[in-house]
Amino acid sequence: MKVTAKQIWLGAALLAAGLVHASQAGAQEPGLTDKTIKIGMFSPLSGANMAYGFDVVNAAKMYYNKINKEGGVHGRQIELVVEDDRCNANDLVSAVKKLVEQDQVFMLNGGSCSAAAVAAKDYVVRSKVPWVMLNASADGALYPPTDYIFGAYSITQYAVGGSVVDFGKEHLKAKKIGYINHDDAYGAWNLEAAQDTAKQLGVELAVESINPNITDVTAPLIKLRAANPDMIAITTYAKPAALIIKKAHELGITKPIVLTVTGTANMSQLVENVGNKDALKNFYVQDVLADVPGGPKIKWVYDMYKENYPDLAAKPDHPQAYMPYGIAPAMSVVNALKEAGPNPTREKVAEALRSQKFDSGVMAGPIEFGPNDRAAQESTIYLKFDGSQQTLIPGSFQSRWKYKG
Amino acid sequence: MSDKTAAMAPRSEASLPAGWSARGIPFVQIALLALAAAALVILPFAVTGYVLYIANLLLVFVVLCLGLHLVIGETGQFALAHAAFYGIGIYTSGLAGNAFGWPFPLSMLLAGLIAGAVGVVIGAVALRMRDIYLALATFAFGEAMQWVFLNWDRVTGGPNGLRISPARLGAFEILSDKQAYPVVVVMALLMLVLTIIISRSRLGRAFRAVRESEVAAMAMGVPVRRAKIVAFGLSAFYAGVAGSMFATFSTYIHPDSLGFQTTILVLTMVVVGGLGSIAGAVGGAIAFGLISEVLRQTPSYQEIIYGLILIVFMMYAPRGVFAFIRDRMGRAARG
Amino acid sequence: MTLEVALLFLQQGIASGLVVGSVYALLALAIVVIFKTSEVPNFSQGEMVMAAGYIALYLLVFRNLPLWVVMPATILAAFAGAALFRRLILNQVARANGSPVNLVIATLGLSYVLRGFVRQTGFGDTPRSFPPVIEPQSIMIGQASVTTLDLVILATAVVVMAAFFWMFKYTKVGRAMRAVGMNPKAAQLVGVDLTRIHMIVWGLSGAISAVAALLISPKVLMTADMGSIVTLGFAAAIVGGFTSLPGAVVGGFLIGIIENLVGLFVTSRAIVLAPFLAIMLVLVIRPQGLFGGRVEIKKV
Repeated sequence: MKVTAKQIWLGAALLAAGLVHASQAGAQEPGLTDKTIKIGMFSPLSGANMAYGFDVVNAAKMYYNKINKEGGVHGRQIELVVEDDRCNANDLVSAVKKLVEQDQVFMLNGGSCSAAAVAAKDYVVRSKVPWVMLNASADGALYPPTDYIFGAYSITQYAVGGSVVDFGKEHLKAKKIGYINHDDAYGAWNLEAAQDTAKQLGVELAVESINPNITDVTAPLIKLRAANPDMIAITTYAKPAALIIKKAHELGITKPIVLTVTGTANMSQLVENVGNKDALKNFYVQDVLADVPGGPKIKWVYDMYKENYPDLAAKPDHPQAYMPYGIAPAMSVVNALKEAGPNPTREKVAEALRSQKFDSGVMAGPIEFGPNDRAAQESTIYLKFDGSQQTLIPGSFQSRWKYKG
Repeated sequence: MSDKTAAMAPRSEASLPAGWSARGIPFVQIALLALAAAALVILPFAVTGYVLYIANLLLVFVVLCLGLHLVIGETGQFALAHAAFYGIGIYTSGLAGNAFGWPFPLSMLLAGLIAGAVGVVIGAVALRMRDIYLALATFAFGEAMQWVFLNWDRVTGGPNGLRISPARLGAFEILSDKQAYPVVVVMALLMLVLTIIISRSRLGRAFRAVRESEVAAMAMGVPVRRAKIVAFGLSAFYAGVAGSMFATFSTYIHPDSLGFQTTILVLTMVVVGGLGSIAGAVGGAIAFGLISEVLRQTPSYQEIIYGLILIVFMMYAPRGVFAFIRDRMGRAARG
Repeated sequence: MTLEVALLFLQQGIASGLVVGSVYALLALAIVVIFKTSEVPNFSQGEMVMAAGYIALYLLVFRNLPLWVVMPATILAAFAGAALFRRLILNQVARANGSPVNLVIATLGLSYVLRGFVRQTGFGDTPRSFPPVIEPQSIMIGQASVTTLDLVILATAVVVMAAFFWMFKYTKVGRAMRAVGMNPKAAQLVGVDLTRIHMIVWGLSGAISAVAALLISPKVLMTADMGSIVTLGFAAAIVGGFTSLPGAVVGGFLIGIIENLVGLFVTSRAIVLAPFLAIMLVLVIRPQGLFGGRVEIKKV
């Protein structure tokens, strides 16, 4: 192989040029100029889990768009840099580091996948960058609380698990609950709260933990049926949830079934997948939005989506189910920026977030943080769903789990 | 055309990087090496932490690829449990630091040794199997290990993952990619040198003999059994060390990244780089690691592009990228 | 656990295991038929099932074609697609002078391409199903509860396998396939067109995958990632004997039953572990599986 010396030096020069990247000079905070403020967003935009992030990012973007049209925040236009975190830990950390170090963003607004988000916790805290998550619950990153990380704008898994037990006891008068969760991080969190709440309320739990990729749910359901619970709580993702509801019907289980928000991505598709309206005779759904999807209270979000993304809205299954979850985090960012004043610093914004409280109009409860609390939204609503009609169940049902430590 | 061309093209020399010969190292290679060394040293002062993070990751993959190269490229044993040993390395290193406060050189060594020990056991068990059966058995073992990582809550944190506290040496703590970089580079270089030494040694010759023909090797007095077990153990050692390298600059590990996907990623790096050559393993790691990060910028099509890259490479550059380039340049020089 | 409950679990485990196992058996058959004739473990087998399922979904739900048109159309499309892949891509890979692992990596590439493609169309977002062949009614077999659909799945799978075996054993094409599997050079000498046979083998594998997809999609729900079910197909093939077609079938049923029994008697968390344990045990204790012949001595 003949490689000339000239080729070597040329290659070296190119390599060096490609790698050297002078950091932005600036006495100001990174990501901040007189006219703009740069926000780094990340979410799964591809791959198996893109449904959790793709339209959520779009919702946040359209909200930022609206704020920009109204003049921005203290005269600064919001500039966005968006990265794909592919819903796994290594790529999420890559995305975060790129945004912070390479793109020099002022703050972060991203994260739809909880287990992956925890991976960036230490780095973000060490770098002292305020991080407002998207729809990740990321309980592992919110407890113990830090000064810079704010999440669970949809809901925490701790709240999901505990609340469904409360609902079972208060509304369905259940003394024994069959509880089906996943053997992943999500499942561990919601189970912990469910067990805690169950203990406090004197309810017994019969637990079956299944793999998210399971294809045959006969075994867990046979065992649950043998345990004879008064109600079945499902905290799985949508696909296993549909399988479970079907199988429960096949096995002749007629007790009430409650599906937590983890599995409610697409209710009309769920009905199709279950295939039998009879299976939904005694069926309840947990939700964290202020209204049924598409209902009057949150119609403005869907209208805004159609206005901003007419091509996407025309495609089947768009907007994706989790789209509205992107509004509250964006509001939170904007509110914190407003409160931090015309000369914001990262510290001022983090401080503003730590004591933030507002009603987004989109979620079931207020967005609220406190001294030991970095979980934004902890309220749920329950609906009875018979396959076509959703009826709101009045009453408030709370997780009894409290962070200790 | 039969697909059963089982034997890989025999190599007359040891698997030395392209251009090396028995005589010595030609000037061109020295210049390139000096350049690479200079670049490695200058890097942390010239780039952002993000680039250093990518560099650290690439170096981890280099070591992973070198390990796989030893067992598949040199010895011809298709061991597909690499991610399991990588995971053992990460957890060992992380726990030694978390629970016992061990300084990182010690925890790195421990990670390699424990992974290597498990590798030796697996090698001994898998001895009788060949080719597809070995591949499937090790694949199953890898998946079973991932299940263990996911369910052994008390040790690995289970589905919650494991937070790794900063690596320490005395009073010095590694808190950033920039600080971890020298450690990662030195380890990678050490493992590279080790690979070259092994490759040029009697052990390396034994490996290659086993790869070409076990029967002939046995006839020539090569201890086939022992060679295979050593190959397994070594590749697991490498993977364990790679895991401990990862633990120096990462603060969290979750079993999701310790499954067959990761093993297959390393395998494709080695194959696309060039099976059976050290330069191929190193080059494949760097090239594919970069491709993966670059593809992250094109969310919609990345899976399709990635698959097409694999297919195209297998169709037109079957002996790996470096062999391909060498052939082309050779042809250009001649024609 | 009382004896009563144990008996119930046993019956249910076997019944459900047989149903789901029949699908694993089809998958294993598709894998082994390729491996027997070309020694390539097809890592894209799961994605072939997935792609076939989505083709059927598209035709049924979005084009509103009737089922009796959709089913043969899907099977034909899968046959053609797989055969083309073999002809256009794998042939080239085999001709290029690389390591045999290159073929496996090429199949891996195909799996990525198929997955990415399905995700691009947007159908893969949410788990989907299409209406089953018949409306499932629950029925009891002893103490075990299954549905009429389950029985249809089981019966269809058995019929398909029987048809396949008949073809393999008694037709000229089948004999040619067997010849290629035993000794390709000799087969070529006798006048067998290797390219054509390889195409047919892959096409058949694709067709069997399509049948599997049509059977299980209503039961299992489709996502772009449903291809991961292929692991169970591999487990079944190994347990049965990787080069034995009847072994693949028996292996499928066994894996299905083992999965269910482990889930019932041990813990649901261990269900995913069961096939891997089975693979390791079989390969260590009896590598040729239940029905594989003696382990071949590798050519020197």
